[in-house]
Amino acid sequence: MKSRPICPRCESERTDTLTRSPVPGVWEVYHCEACFFAWRSTEPDFITDPAKYDPEFKLSREQLDQSSVMPAVPALLKR
Amino acid sequence: MAYQDLRTYLDTLSREGQLIRVMDAVLPEPDISAAACAVNKLGDKAPALLFENILGYTDARIAMNVHGSWRNHALMLCMPKDTPLKEQFHEFVRRYQTYPGTVEERGEAPWQEVQIDKDINLFDILPLFRLNHGDGGFYIDKSCIVSRDITDWDNSDAQNVGMYRLQVKGKNRIGIQPVPAHDIAIHLRKAEELGENLPVAICIGNDPLISTVAAMPILYHQSEYEMAGALAQEPYPVVKAQHTGLQVPWGSEIVLEGKILSRVREGEGPFGEFTGHYSGARQMPVVEITKVSHRSSPLFEHLYLGMPWTEIDYLMGVNTCAPLHVQLKEAFPEVQAVNALYTHGLVVIVSTKCRFGGFAKGVGMRVLTTPHGLGYAKVVIVVDETIDPFNLPQVMWAISTKFNPEFDLFTIPGLSVLPLDPASDPAGMTHKLVIDATTPVAPEKHGHYSQELSDPITTDAWVEKLRQLLPTA
Repeated sequence: MKSRPICPRCESERTDTLTRSPVPGVWEVYHCEACFFAWRSTEPDFITDPAKYDPEFKLSREQLDQSSVMPAVPALLKR
Repeated sequence: MAYQDLRTYLDTLSREGQLIRVMDAVLPEPDISAAACAVNKLGDKAPALLFENILGYTDARIAMNVHGSWRNHALMLCMPKDTPLKEQFHEFVRRYQTYPGTVEERGEAPWQEVQIDKDINLFDILPLFRLNHGDGGFYIDKSCIVSRDITDWDNSDAQNVGMYRLQVKGKNRIGIQPVPAHDIAIHLRKAEELGENLPVAICIGNDPLISTVAAMPILYHQSEYEMAGALAQEPYPVVKAQHTGLQVPWGSEIVLEGKILSRVREGEGPFGEFTGHYSGARQMPVVEITKVSHRSSPLFEHLYLGMPWTEIDYLMGVNTCAPLHVQLKEAFPEVQAVNALYTHGLVVIVSTKCRFGGFAKGVGMRVLTTPHGLGYAKVVIVVDETIDPFNLPQVMWAISTKFNPEFDLFTIPGLSVLPLDPASDPAGMTHKLVIDATTPVAPEKHGHYSQELSDPITTDAWVEKLRQLLPTA
């Protein structure tokens, strides 16, 4: 069984293959269930390789969970 | 005759030499965004691009830079392609002031040809690709998103058509950015207060006018379709989408219907934005798509945005100037023209006659209190009526010579601005600046302006004469 790719952005292993090219065998798209990052197998290695991903754009799930909420969720009206 | 869909507009762009068809095979990344970034480096006469051979897809086509030059903008308005920008602006304002235009509801539309409501995979239907290297995923960034107030469903004036970025996160799952100042955020708040989902229709590949209106800061109770009818000067055709009951453009290529999930927020971004900076990541709402309809071989329309200028600066340029111009003129008929082309109006230049000392400063403050000014207009420059605000050398001359910081500059602290402004601190808050670069009039008196130069008396005639003597290209 093929192992799951590591997310280039948050380095989580909670990743999966999201889709494959309509023309078979050209590319695959992966996504990360932890940080919602998505990437394609044919992108440059500074996108696909966790070791080469731009450090300025690394983002963990913890950082995402602490990020601001926009727009804020309003209070429920009493019915 | 206005364009009722994207295809007929692209035909015109092609006839006018404003469309490049890219038949070579291209990789989704980085080719498409690199080419769309590059085309803006050709100057303000750049053509649109149509990619017809995308690796991995069978018959996908992607249209880029459709609005990306003043020529294309003129052709959208059915004006000659070399119409000067100021003339395009005044014609746009003239049509804007005929609001409301009429809306024609039709029974069926070409986009109803193919319908999918099971096993939806947006990646099979849309040739999605990453736009900028730091983006968190694959985005739809040029769609018209339709929503209504679920507590006032039959009020079509409160129906909204807006352009908001969408991050495709799953086969039928999309992150959406409803900025609180935008109308869709009002609809979402009302739905979420009741714990209800908000139905939405996402329309992709549209006639050029509705995209212009969707990116335009009009009032909450103004109808985008009636505004499109006014700008088209003919009835604007719409069709009711059966799944949601929302009115959508007759001419769309693809319509995605679904709902914003009530009270759900999820990580989104970053995305390279029109400010020339990434947005950062935030927790934003999520759309679940439950039905897809599209024309056969649909055109996927997308835009590149990055370091300005890019297509988005053309898309939300004149349409930002026009409402500001009209709103300012309601208070001050002396206003001549408004240039809000820069970063959606973070800088605004107003030319006006001045009736008395301090008048220009008052005009500047009115810019700050317009609905759009609340979220933009960080720097307002006011110039004399003799200055064309679209002519930056003239504006720079006015600042160079008419402006004295001792008398003509003031900042107002603690005002609102869009959170995407990277200079705002905290995000969404800023000081704002008004620069009065008009000639002082009584009782204001400073500087020495009694001997301003004028052109030699036969200059205008010589301009015409020399123009005729110019060698033709």
